[in-house]
Amino acid sequence: MKFKTLNKLATGLSVLFAVTFSVVAAEKVVVYNWTEYIPDGVLAEFTKETGIKVEYNTYESNEVMYSKLKLQNGKGYDIVIPSTYYISKMAKEGLLAKIDTAQLSNFTHLDPALLNKSYDPNNQHSVPYVWGSTGIGINTNEVDPKSIKSWKDLWDKKWQNSLLLTDDVREVFHMALRVNGHSSNSTSEAEIKQAYELLTKLMPNVLVFNSDAPREPYLAGDVNLGMIWNGEVIMAQEEDSAIEYIYPTEGAAIWVDSFAIPTGAENKSNAHKFINFMLRPDVAKRTVEYIGYATPNKAGIALLDQATQNNPTIFPSKRIVEQGEFQTDVGPAIEIYNKYWEMLKTSK
Amino acid sequence: MNRYSSPLNFRRLVITLTLTWLGLFVLLPHLMVILTSVLTPDAEHLVIWPITFDNYLKVFEPIYAGVFWNSLLMSGITTLVCLLIGYPFAYLLANMSPTMRVVLLFLMVVPFWTNSLIRIYAIKMILGKKGIVNSFLMFTGVIDSPVQLIYTDFAVIIGLVYILLPFMVLPLIASFAKLDRSLIEVGKDLGASPFYRFIYILLPLTAPGIIAGCLIVFLPAMGMFYVADILGGAKSLLLGNVIKNQFLVVRDWPFGSAFSVFLILLMAGLLIIYNKANNYIQHKGGLDDENL
Repeated sequence: MKFKTLNKLATGLSVLFAVTFSVVAAEKVVVYNWTEYIPDGVLAEFTKETGIKVEYNTYESNEVMYSKLKLQNGKGYDIVIPSTYYISKMAKEGLLAKIDTAQLSNFTHLDPALLNKSYDPNNQHSVPYVWGSTGIGINTNEVDPKSIKSWKDLWDKKWQNSLLLTDDVREVFHMALRVNGHSSNSTSEAEIKQAYELLTKLMPNVLVFNSDAPREPYLAGDVNLGMIWNGEVIMAQEEDSAIEYIYPTEGAAIWVDSFAIPTGAENKSNAHKFINFMLRPDVAKRTVEYIGYATPNKAGIALLDQATQNNPTIFPSKRIVEQGEFQTDVGPAIEIYNKYWEMLKTSK
Repeated sequence: MNRYSSPLNFRRLVITLTLTWLGLFVLLPHLMVILTSVLTPDAEHLVIWPITFDNYLKVFEPIYAGVFWNSLLMSGITTLVCLLIGYPFAYLLANMSPTMRVVLLFLMVVPFWTNSLIRIYAIKMILGKKGIVNSFLMFTGVIDSPVQLIYTDFAVIIGLVYILLPFMVLPLIASFAKLDRSLIEVGKDLGASPFYRFIYILLPLTAPGIIAGCLIVFLPAMGMFYVADILGGAKSLLLGNVIKNQFLVVRDWPFGSAFSVFLILLMAGLLIIYNKANNYIQHKGGLDDENL
C-alpha cells in the first residue's frame, strides 16, 4: 500500500520535473502586437533562425494594451508596440525598460528623421516599427473623390447615418480640433469642449465606430466614406481598387508605433533579438508590402519596388507630413478628452 | 461501516470542490468588484484608498440616463420577441413525442457549440448592404436599393434574440411539461373557447416559466456589449458597453464596478419580484388546498 503511494508520488514528481524542465529549456519571447500588424511567416522564420519560440498575442487599442500591462505591473509580455503618446506615458510611469541599442546591430538602418522624437528623447524606451496616418477613406465607385478634400466635408448633412469613424478618442478629436484650427495635441479644456460641440454635430452622420479593421465595412459595402488608416487602404486595395485614401487639407493625424520592452519582461535579451530581427531590411520591406504602412527603415525602403516607394498613400510627401500633426502625450488632459468622448458616445 | 463511509467522503469531496470553485471564481471576484466600487479612481494607480460612494452617485448622472433607457428598451423588445417566438415553440415541442422532443431540443442547442462571437459575425455578414437579406430582397424586387440593416438597433435586437432565445425556451418547456393536460380537457368539456382556455388555464399555469424565461433573457441582454459593438456599430447602446469602456478606455475602474454592482442589485430586485409573483400565482390559480 505504502509502496504504491510512493510509486505514484515518484511518477508524479518526475512528470512535474519534466514539464518544468521543458519550460525552462525552451527559449521564448512573448509579443503583444496590434491585430494584423506583422507579415505572415515572419514569426516562424524568427523561431527557425534563433530557436526562440514566439508567444503571440494581439490587441486592438492602446488602451487595452496599457490596461493589461498596468494591471500586471509591466509583467507578462516581452514586447509591446504602443503608439507615440503611449510611449511617453508608459515610460513616465516606469512601465518601459531601457532599450540597449548596442544589442541592435540593425538600428543603423533607421531614418534619423524618425528617431530622437519628443515622445522619447534618444530612443531610450522605444524603437520605431512603422508609421502611418489617419485620414479619409473613400469608395470612389460610390462617392466622387473630387468632392472630398477636408475633414470638414464629413460634416455635410448628405452623409447622414453613413460614415465610419475610428473608435479612438485622440483620432476623432484630432479631426474636430484641426477643423477648429487648433492643435490636435491641445490640452486646453475650452478647445476640447469646442471640439466636442463640433463633434456632436457630426454624430448624426456616424454609422459605425471601428478600430478593429476599419477596411472591412468599406469592403463589405456598408460604408463608403469616413476615417481610415492609410495601411488599411493599401490592404483593402488588394480586394477592391476603388477604395482610396485622401489626406485632408486640415492635416492627417500622424503616428508612429514603436517596439518597447516592459519593465517586467522576463526575456529581455530575447526581446532585443526579436527587435533586431524585425529591423532587418528584408523584414522591414516585407512588413510594408504586407501591412501597408511606412517603415522608418531606409535600407528596407530601398529594397521596395519603385511603385511602392512612390505610393503617396504609404509614403506621403514632405509637404503632406508637415501639413499633418504628430500625436504627442497630452498628460492629464487625456481625462478631459475621455470625459467628452464618453459624453459623445453615450449621446446617440 | 465502510460501505457507507466512502459515498459520504465522495459527497464531501464534491461539495468541497464545488464550494471552493464557487468561492474562488464567483464569490471572490464579486467581492473584489464590490470593494473596487467604493474606492477612489486614480490615473497612476487605477484605484487608491479613501473609501467613497461618489461612484454610485455617478451612475445616476443624466448622461447615463439615455443609455439606461435605451438598454431597457432594447432588452425589453428582445425579451418580448423571444417570448413571442419561444412560447409557441415550447408549446409545440411539449406536445410532440418524446423522441421528436429530444431531437428538436438537440437541434436548438447545437448552434451553442459554436462560439457566440463567431455567430454574431455571421449575422453581420447576413445583414450587410451586400448581404444575403438585401441581395434577396433586391433580387425579388421588393426593394430597389439596399436598406440599412447592419449597425442599427434592429440588427442588435436580431443578434440578442438569436443568442438568448434558448434561455427563454428551456424554462417554458419545463412549465409545459409540468402542465396537467386534463385541466385543458376539463375546460373544453365545460365549453370554454380556445381563447378562454388560453387566458384562464394555459397562461396562468405556465406563468412561472414565462417569468423565469423573461428574467434570464432580459438581464443578460443589457450586458451583451459585444453584440452592440459588432452589430450596432460600437455606439454605446447598452449598459454593458458603458461598463466595458470604463474598464478598458476611460480606466475608471471604481465607476465601472459601481455600474456592475448596480446591475447585480437590479437583477436581485427582479428575482425578488419573480419570487413574489410566483407565490401569488400559485396561490391564485394553482391547485392549492384552499382552491380545492
